[in-house]
Amino acid sequence: MDTDVTATPAVEAVDVSRRYGDVVALDGVSLSVAPGAVFGLVGPNGAGKTTLVRALTGTTDATGEVRLFGDPLPAVDRARLGLLPQSFSPADRLTARELVDYYAGLYDPRRARDVDAVLAEVGLADDTAVRYENLSGGQRRRVCVATALVNDPDLLFLDEPTAGVDPAGRRSLHGLVARLADEGTTVFLTSHSMDEVETLADRVGLVRDGSLVAVGPPDGLVAEHGGHARVLVETASDAVADPPALGLDGFDVERTTEGFVVTDVGAADLPDVVESVVAAEVSPDAVTWARPGLEEAYFRLTGEAFADAEAERR
Amino acid sequence: MTRLRRLRAEFTAERRSFLRRRTAVFFTFVFPLLVVLIFGVLVQTDGGGVGLFARPPAFYVPGYLAVVVLFTPLSRVGSTVARHRDGARFEKLATTPLRRWEWLLAHAVVNAAVIGLAALLLFVLTLLLTGVAAAPAPALLLLVPLVALATVLFCGVGCVVGRVAGSQDGVIAASNALALPLLFLSETFVAADQLPAWFRPAVGLSPLTYFARGVRALVGSGDPAVGVALTNLAVVAALAVVAVAAGAAAVPRTD
Repeated sequence: MDTDVTATPAVEAVDVSRRYGDVVALDGVSLSVAPGAVFGLVGPNGAGKTTLVRALTGTTDATGEVRLFGDPLPAVDRARLGLLPQSFSPADRLTARELVDYYAGLYDPRRARDVDAVLAEVGLADDTAVRYENLSGGQRRRVCVATALVNDPDLLFLDEPTAGVDPAGRRSLHGLVARLADEGTTVFLTSHSMDEVETLADRVGLVRDGSLVAVGPPDGLVAEHGGHARVLVETASDAVADPPALGLDGFDVERTTEGFVVTDVGAADLPDVVESVVAAEVSPDAVTWARPGLEEAYFRLTGEAFADAEAERR
Repeated sequence: MTRLRRLRAEFTAERRSFLRRRTAVFFTFVFPLLVVLIFGVLVQTDGGGVGLFARPPAFYVPGYLAVVVLFTPLSRVGSTVARHRDGARFEKLATTPLRRWEWLLAHAVVNAAVIGLAALLLFVLTLLLTGVAAAPAPALLLLVPLVALATVLFCGVGCVVGRVAGSQDGVIAASNALALPLLFLSETFVAADQLPAWFRPAVGLSPLTYFARGVRALVGSGDPAVGVALTNLAVVAALAVVAVAAGAAAVPRTD
């Protein structure tokens, strides 16, 4: 459980569970998100991310306790919330502007933001008059994001906000999330992209089979569970057949189909490793130094490669 | 003030969505027109005979209006609920200040406005094509609340159908299965005395019966029976309140 919270948490969940028949979608999840923080929930498809968002927003009948801004769900001022559901599909015959204007109309005018400003913020200033059904997949998702921003929420739930969005659009949305966080909005973000949450989130929850397997700052999770940096050497040299001949005493060397991997290589060790590789006349095609990331942490925590877990659930 | 703003936003979005679905608009206006053309013009009614369509033409006016008042709200609101559920729109709306009854009311008002226009067109065509003579009388204005409240009533029922049916296809099947018996067993096209005696009490269970009786009291032969029309209007109004309450409770809030 994440307990590193000093102020009243924006989100607090205690022992939240949800079953669908015999399937356990959430299994006793507890977490806490501080006001103004960006919390990233990451896991493969089917891990329980969307169910947890629904439990936290009161749109599924979960057991356990959920409090937003210290209030139990039924008492929460809904005008303070913004939600982008994962499979959200709004009225497709309305234009982008009409859609955002519709959602703005559901809030008190003092709360509702200028519609054109919100559309510009998500990069759709030139497409406001285009019907939703005629927008591209990425543009549609950005309209959906805009509908979640239109009430200037204090707490924003974004369930897979960049699904189907092109790289440029993704960068734009990443910048938007960062800006919202800077302005004090609490963001609860789900993604199946490790890179995305690693970039955006102050704290990350790794979820698998309905359970949170770890919660913490990305750097902390990687440092604690991700192992060490490594050097990847791609080569066709026969010298790889005899690792001791490489002269990399003190390092673990593993062969791969492309060449070999030297594990536990810190930044200070890098010159020595490269020098040894060159001296061994390995003739590398490429040498890459890679720090471990959340993906390695996930693997070490679950014993399951993230990509494999994704593929298994598809 | 804020509530009115929410209702207006929902009303405007639904009005645009409805009117931009050309097939929905087309059939809302054309389907009842086909019924009038087939039964009122081609088959023709003949007062004094026996069997179906043997009553004076004015007897069938409630039936013609019932087609538009019954089918469109049931299928339209039902499929809207299914579409909203499939697109996670209720999930999102549950985190906004919009209340479930506000959502249904806004949709019911849009339907009442569109169906009111369709009913007016249908009524005028019926007078022109079938030879029904309805003297202009202030009492005829009671048709307006009758059509509006019956539409709202069936919007509420459509909401329940949309909740119960699992998909948009399911909504169409369920609303047809509900609407067809109601259409013919509610003193619209078939008089109660043409039904078996044991079945007649069941006619009173259909909300459409009170709509039909109210319309017939205003458009039947002779002077409008305002008292009868008002009584049935009151029943339709009460049933509309119950249906809206049930429909609002049926609007999904969770997955």
